[in-house]
Amino acid sequence: MEAYKAFTQEWMDAWKEKIAGSKEYREIAKDWEGSVSITVNADPSKNIPQTVYMFTDYWHGDVNEFVICDAAKAQSAKFIMTGDYARWKQVAKKELDATKALMQGKLKLKGDLTYVVRNIKTVNKVIDLLTEVDTIFPDDV
Amino acid sequence: MAYDSDLSFVYFGPTKVVFGGGSSTSELESEISSLGCSRAIVVTDQGIIKAGLSENIIKTLGDKCVGVFSDVPQDTGIDVVNRGAAFAGEKGADIVISIGGGSVIDTAKGMCILLTEGGSLADYEGIQLLTRPQTPHIVIPTTAGTGSEVTWIAVIYDKEKGQKILIVESHNAPRVAILDPQLTIGLPPLLTASTGMDAMTHAIEAMTSIQREPLSDAMALHAIRLLSTWLPECLKDGRDLKARGQVQLAATMAGWAFGNALVGLVHAMAQSVGAVARVPHGVACGILLPWCMDFNLSDGEPETIAIYATVAEALGLSARGDDPGSSAAAAVKGSFDLLEEIGHPMKLSEFGVTEEHITEAADLSMADGAIINNIRYVSEKDEVLDIYRRAL
Ligand SMILES: [Fe+2]
Repeated sequence: MEAYKAFTQEWMDAWKEKIAGSKEYREIAKDWEGSVSITVNADPSKNIPQTVYMFTDYWHGDVNEFVICDAAKAQSAKFIMTGDYARWKQVAKKELDATKALMQGKLKLKGDLTYVVRNIKTVNKVIDLLTEVDTIFPDDV
Repeated sequence: MAYDSDLSFVYFGPTKVVFGGGSSTSELESEISSLGCSRAIVVTDQGIIKAGLSENIIKTLGDKCVGVFSDVPQDTGIDVVNRGAAFAGEKGADIVISIGGGSVIDTAKGMCILLTEGGSLADYEGIQLLTRPQTPHIVIPTTAGTGSEVTWIAVIYDKEKGQKILIVESHNAPRVAILDPQLTIGLPPLLTASTGMDAMTHAIEAMTSIQREPLSDAMALHAIRLLSTWLPECLKDGRDLKARGQVQLAATMAGWAFGNALVGLVHAMAQSVGAVARVPHGVACGILLPWCMDFNLSDGEPETIAIYATVAEALGLSARGDDPGSSAAAAVKGSFDLLEEIGHPMKLSEFGVTEEHITEAADLSMADGAIINNIRYVSEKDEVLDIYRRAL
């Protein structure tokens, strides 16, 4: 399996492909509407020289735009998730449960929390599928 | 797993608790001063004012009270919080004192954010968005159940969206909770029983949450001990100050427990049947708790059996070393018995709930966020419907 550098467009394409190819995802996410942006705060000590913004868009089981973007586009998403690199890495490796991370303030979420909680299975599935992407993390290089 | 070698968690409970009969008047001023504040806005509701619960407190504050905001309905809304914050801002308030139940406390929590950050409350929908401590908040609860005095969650109705929004901010946890049992002696029996069972449900569900950990377990276990002993005493004699105080403390402990470990199936189902058929929250929790415990136990998982055996110990129904299976079963039976002992409603139909209601509520339950924390994974709507039917 090819490995991808985290937070690159190629890596996002690989992640999108995993989601789009999952029948299980399509079923779980059939009611989900709207975009989620992910902001990874800059951490030069971990080889993240600048803040990374990603925009991901989902609609009733379909996966739409999945791109590295700028701050303004990230701000335009229905849900805006923000956190330090170390936390996102833990989430991406399933070492940290996303719900727990939010409750404990390790990640921030702007948006309709009740919607996310109601659709938590969709969120978890998207993260599960990310763990299937062979990822090279910036501080592991 | 809560006690495994890979255990890692954060326990958060920064609220100072001041307890004692009469403390709502005797301790309030010094708590305000020790927070470096001097201009208090009091948030309460008309029911509390009519019951005479806020009068002495406001009198004690003297000119430290710069205004009273009492326009808080049963279920508070964004517009209410915005109005309250504007009023408090005009008065130059530097601290918020809430006197009341869940709706009043949540209104005050929202006001604290706006007094610090400005804007409309709708801008703060989300989780952990704030980066600094908010306007200090002292809570003086007049009920014993929600635990809201020590949690950092506010539930506020958004009229425009037609739904409740959640604001979860650890920077906005109340600074002080003043627990004065004298304020709860006038609670009528049904409200005493049902709010007490809400607290019991917080404690037991925190223990069977997949987020459980030893510190929240400790809070939950002592809450269960106190509730099983003293809640019946409150029902025998509502003016028993000692019993009222112990139940109030139990509710606060249960608040810390579920504030950290979260709640599960009972709350998913209680919130859903509350939304569909307007069954009061505590009543729905009380009725559904034993049935959900029975459901959780019936898959024979050793971990669930062990937890409920510990609950049975706390309920005073078994001893350490007893057969775990029989102890766990005793916990379920004990929960039914407690309902009977305190004269709590036993069936949802007593509140007009019908088969149609529970069919709709079962759908909502499956989509409720609390269900995912439940120790037993609930995969089918029919499982929920079956529990509702038993409790109907
Ligand atoms: Fe509750």
